[in-house]
Amino acid sequence: MSEPPSDLTQTPPTPVPAAADRRPTVAPASPASPDPVSLLGRPRRRRLWRAIPKAWRTPLGLVAGVVAVAWLVIAVVGPSIVPHDPLAQDLPRFQPPSSTAWLGTDELGRDVFSRVIAGARVTILLSLLLVCLSMLIGSILGVVAGFFGRWVDEVIMRLTDLVMAFPTVILAMVTAAALGASLLNAVLAALVVSWPSYARVVRSMVLSLRTSEFVASGRLLGFSPVRSMRVDILPNVAGPTLVMASLDIGTAALLLSGLSFLGLGAKPPMPEWGSMVATAVQNFDKWWLGLFPGLAILTVVMAFNFLGDALRDQLDPGATKA
Amino acid sequence: MFGIRRPLRLVAGAVLVAASLALGACAQPPTPSDDPTSNGSQIVIDTTFDIKTADPGREYEPTGQIVVKALYDTLLTFADNDSTKVIPDLATYEASADLTEFTFTLVQGRVFSDGLPVTADDVVFSLQRLQGLKGNPSFLLDGVTVTKVDDQTVKLTTEQPNPALPSILATPSAGILNSTVVKSHGGAIDETDQAEEFLNSTSAGSGPYTLQRLDIASEAVLVKNPQYNGSQRPTYDTVILRNVEPATQKMNVERGESQVALGLSGDQVTSLSSSVKLTSTPSATVVFLLINADPAISTLTSNPQFVQAVKSAIDYAALVDLAGAGAGQATSLIPTQFLGTLPTSQALTFDLEQAKAAATAAGANGQTVTLSFPNDIDPTGLPLVNVAQKIQAQLAAAGITVDLAPAPFATEIDAYRDGKEQIGLWYWNPDYMDPANYLAFGPGQTVGLRSGWKADANPAIADLVTQGYTTGDLAQRKALFEAWGLAMNAESPFVPLLQPASNVVSQPSVTNVYYNPVWIINVAGLGRA
Repeated sequence: MSEPPSDLTQTPPTPVPAAADRRPTVAPASPASPDPVSLLGRPRRRRLWRAIPKAWRTPLGLVAGVVAVAWLVIAVVGPSIVPHDPLAQDLPRFQPPSSTAWLGTDELGRDVFSRVIAGARVTILLSLLLVCLSMLIGSILGVVAGFFGRWVDEVIMRLTDLVMAFPTVILAMVTAAALGASLLNAVLAALVVSWPSYARVVRSMVLSLRTSEFVASGRLLGFSPVRSMRVDILPNVAGPTLVMASLDIGTAALLLSGLSFLGLGAKPPMPEWGSMVATAVQNFDKWWLGLFPGLAILTVVMAFNFLGDALRDQLDPGATKA
Repeated sequence: MFGIRRPLRLVAGAVLVAASLALGACAQPPTPSDDPTSNGSQIVIDTTFDIKTADPGREYEPTGQIVVKALYDTLLTFADNDSTKVIPDLATYEASADLTEFTFTLVQGRVFSDGLPVTADDVVFSLQRLQGLKGNPSFLLDGVTVTKVDDQTVKLTTEQPNPALPSILATPSAGILNSTVVKSHGGAIDETDQAEEFLNSTSAGSGPYTLQRLDIASEAVLVKNPQYNGSQRPTYDTVILRNVEPATQKMNVERGESQVALGLSGDQVTSLSSSVKLTSTPSATVVFLLINADPAISTLTSNPQFVQAVKSAIDYAALVDLAGAGAGQATSLIPTQFLGTLPTSQALTFDLEQAKAAATAAGANGQTVTLSFPNDIDPTGLPLVNVAQKIQAQLAAAGITVDLAPAPFATEIDAYRDGKEQIGLWYWNPDYMDPANYLAFGPGQTVGLRSGWKADANPAIADLVTQGYTTGDLAQRKALFEAWGLAMNAESPFVPLLQPASNVVSQPSVTNVYYNPVWIINVAGLGRA
């Protein structure tokens, strides 16, 4: 396979650790560009504002950042700040939102607000876990495939073809059904379908890096394949892979909620947004049952997607904005 | 990435919420309607369809029972408001003292929808066909020999004494077909039978209605049988059964687009408009817990003290409350509609202190047992997952830790039938209207074995089961089944929990609305105010 000239191969001119070149310097914003809040005028605020990397200084990036951070905080401290025990069935059933139960109560008299808050930990932490795992597995396999080429490449790439040929949700459903319904199995099921895209992207980057001069000179200096991969290749693929991963968190959250919605993820009585929406479908005249977990999914997915966009603009300024 | 392209990811997230918003918006205040019946001679009944065929010998689904009941008369039947006593329909009967010979004498003058008289040949053909098709309902007549005595008389002989046989013959599956017509369309009394397609397009019975059109996915249209000369007086010329989602059923009946809705859950009927009438009774479905008595499955659940702990740890009233309007506690495994059911005073009771003591004595502390149940099935609108979660919380209060194991019906049913569940949450729909149906829960019987309960585990109850299968006298049977129910409550590894509601919502103009455990509703019995 002949590589088309790519900016990746051109960027590192010398065997100097290439990551330094790829890592964008946090450039101070040019004074000419008016920032949305620079009208505030106070120097201290302006300094704070400038401390935010430029790519993040868009309304969407800001809102997304705030929402995502808020959800992360809720995921960490949530269970200790809920007004009710999310599992306690001690309130009247099907109460609409009121001062005692802010978001109403569900079919068993549990507080919906507490369950939405408690559900953040389940969904967000598992999504992060899933994305980290698929990035790790996908990247390792991708680097190996790209670096060694030949039959190793063939085997790994045909494996990705195999997995990618299946419809994502169906394959995840089959895996979850075979392993039994539980959240960990849902993560495993989602992992099965999510690593190939990382393997593909990383492999293509490695293919173009492999022939570049700084890698070749490293090998000529006597670097072992493992050292070459670690020192010369990995730092160059890390950035784009991270961008991809951040864009994937929202999708992961959606896939995990989807599996729970289908009864293949969270086991009752665990508070989980997807299964809460599933119960709401059975009682759809009780609007509060589905609206709030649905909003939670929506905000998490959108926040992490915009966050991913901002991260991409920062790490990969050459790419055109979506 | 997960195979969803980028723009789609946002959309997919939005759709989840948009869907929940849109669904919420559907719950508009109902529009009361003034005149419910636009056409006086037509009635529209909404239900969630579960029908595979309208062939009596093959059907065994709830909606199929409604349809077949209207098309085919049976030898015996039950009155609309009394499901404890069989009454004659096409025939009267006499049973021999040992309950192995039943002689049926046909009522004079009854005719099929084409005018041909109902004869003994038709009866023999229909019942032998039911046996020979080896379909879902064929087991009803296991061990029964059907012989013709003369043109008006048929004799049924059973291998074992069978006091339930008259009730069995009242199920729609035992409907009598016009043998002349069915034979001419490929009908036979064995598996070579080709008449199903014919019987799905038209009917060949002596019932009050005939089949005009059947689409098993959407609609069944029944029209009055002009030749019908039985005891019922059908009010409506046309009966239209439609397959409608429960939430839509509610709107339809409130707006007067349908006259009867059969599929509403206990929670849905709590917010009904006042313009419609609700007939809410406990259904004959019994939701129960199975606690495995086999030490090989669990040493904890097989401990009788553990069973006692569970029985007193469950707050039955709270479970009934969960099931919504019309539900009731199952006083024994035999539901309230049946002969030999127990009065409320003799049902199992909630006693937390006793439960805690029994749980400690059984050594339940620190151990976890698994409660398995099908999570994709809602017997009469009550999701079992809700019941399971409630039970989990109630048992936790008594010191019993339960892990929930939901699974699709199709996979869990095997674990249940093979007796592999530690604790199972299931339900039982009656096959026919006789309490003998419930003897299957006895030690060493079909369902008893599913909980690892062998015949020698409880000789006293096993003896009651034997008597239940062989006693014919009505008064004796009543006492016997009550004794059986009490003993089962006290000593069996089964915990009868509740009977979910059976809700029939109808326009005020529709009268004589009665729920039947087997055929749900008798459309020929519906009247008009």
